[in-house]
Amino acid sequence: MTMNSLETMWAAIPPASPEELAGARRRLLDGMRPRRRFVTVPRLLVAAGVAAAAAVTPLLIGNGAPAYAVAESSNGTLTVTVNEMRDPDGLEARLGAAGVKADVTFLPAGKGCAVPRFAGVDATYGGPPAAGAGELRALVNEARSSKATRVTSARTFRIFPEHIRPGETLVLEFRDNGNAQKPWRLGGWLARAHTPVQPCTPVDDLG
Amino acid sequence: MTITREVIETDDATLIGRSLNEPEVFAVLFDRHAPLLHRYVTRRLGPSEAEDVVADTFLAAFQHRSDYDRGRSDARPWLYGIASNVIGKRRRAETNLYRAYIRSGVHPAEIPGLQVEDGVNTLAVNRPLARALLALTPADRDVLLLVAWAELSYQEVADALSIPPGTVASRLNRARLQIRHALNREEQE
Repeated sequence: MTMNSLETMWAAIPPASPEELAGARRRLLDGMRPRRRFVTVPRLLVAAGVAAAAAVTPLLIGNGAPAYAVAESSNGTLTVTVNEMRDPDGLEARLGAAGVKADVTFLPAGKGCAVPRFAGVDATYGGPPAAGAGELRALVNEARSSKATRVTSARTFRIFPEHIRPGETLVLEFRDNGNAQKPWRLGGWLARAHTPVQPCTPVDDLG
Repeated sequence: MTITREVIETDDATLIGRSLNEPEVFAVLFDRHAPLLHRYVTRRLGPSEAEDVVADTFLAAFQHRSDYDRGRSDARPWLYGIASNVIGKRRRAETNLYRAYIRSGVHPAEIPGLQVEDGVNTLAVNRPLARALLALTPADRDVLLLVAWAELSYQEVADALSIPPGTVASRLNRARLQIRHALNREEQE
């Protein structure tokens, strides 16, 4: 008797429809995404990236623009547009398809990660801070890492594969700039051939 | 990835195992069990809490999926156990719902005129029942409602709440007795 009344109590409530479950399902899917890998952007190259980005008129991107796009030119240079800092794996795969082994990370504002996570091919990564503007300029002009990528506008940068040797990984770290006109700053380095690039441990970045 | 027919037909334990490497497979578990879990939570806490509780339950399940005992092919006891914990943190919502029900005789999720149970009679029975449910201890209520509303077996309730089957039986007996007494008292008054 008790159980019967209980079982029929509110029995008129139907199982939830897909529409009623859509919000919960979306929350689950959002929570299921692998944690983004966060990567440090050493101060020097962040500064260089900002300068380059600021020098060019920002592109205006309409609604519905893809998160990223990669265009290949006949001389082998890639032009990469990053509109939204999401899907690092997709961008990696796209660059891989274009022949560039890359490791892409998107980083929120104010975060960096413990260095080092890979062995760089030159002093632009993991080395001591540049003593001054002259040394910084020299590093940026001479290091292969700096030649391999160049920021060309607020949302685009180029990759020059001729500066990447076989087996090296192009490590790309984007930091959220908190600015719709200049959405990110880029640090790009080459990791030594056939050496691993570790995932990042995020820490507050004071730079 | 695309979710194949083979994934959709596989049992919960296999699905959870696969989701360790292919997290998106976990969504199949949601699609399989969320409709009835949502209904269970709606009965217990009302519609305004249900979406949140279902989302919290599946997120917690997803995060702890590596601990799942894959000897158990049916994940319902595990999911309803997690949901019971989430519901337990919202006791105030549960109490408010029962009070509202006692006042009005209508569950907020029931749509008037659509599927209302047979009129005055239902309301007359349910009000005292709601009062009686409210008077149970939370632990007894969990057991009783997992059996009555989630249709879990004693063993499944034991698995869900991590208590021995004997404890399930004794809590259930106590809850039933208490409700029967409460209903009899109402009738006599």
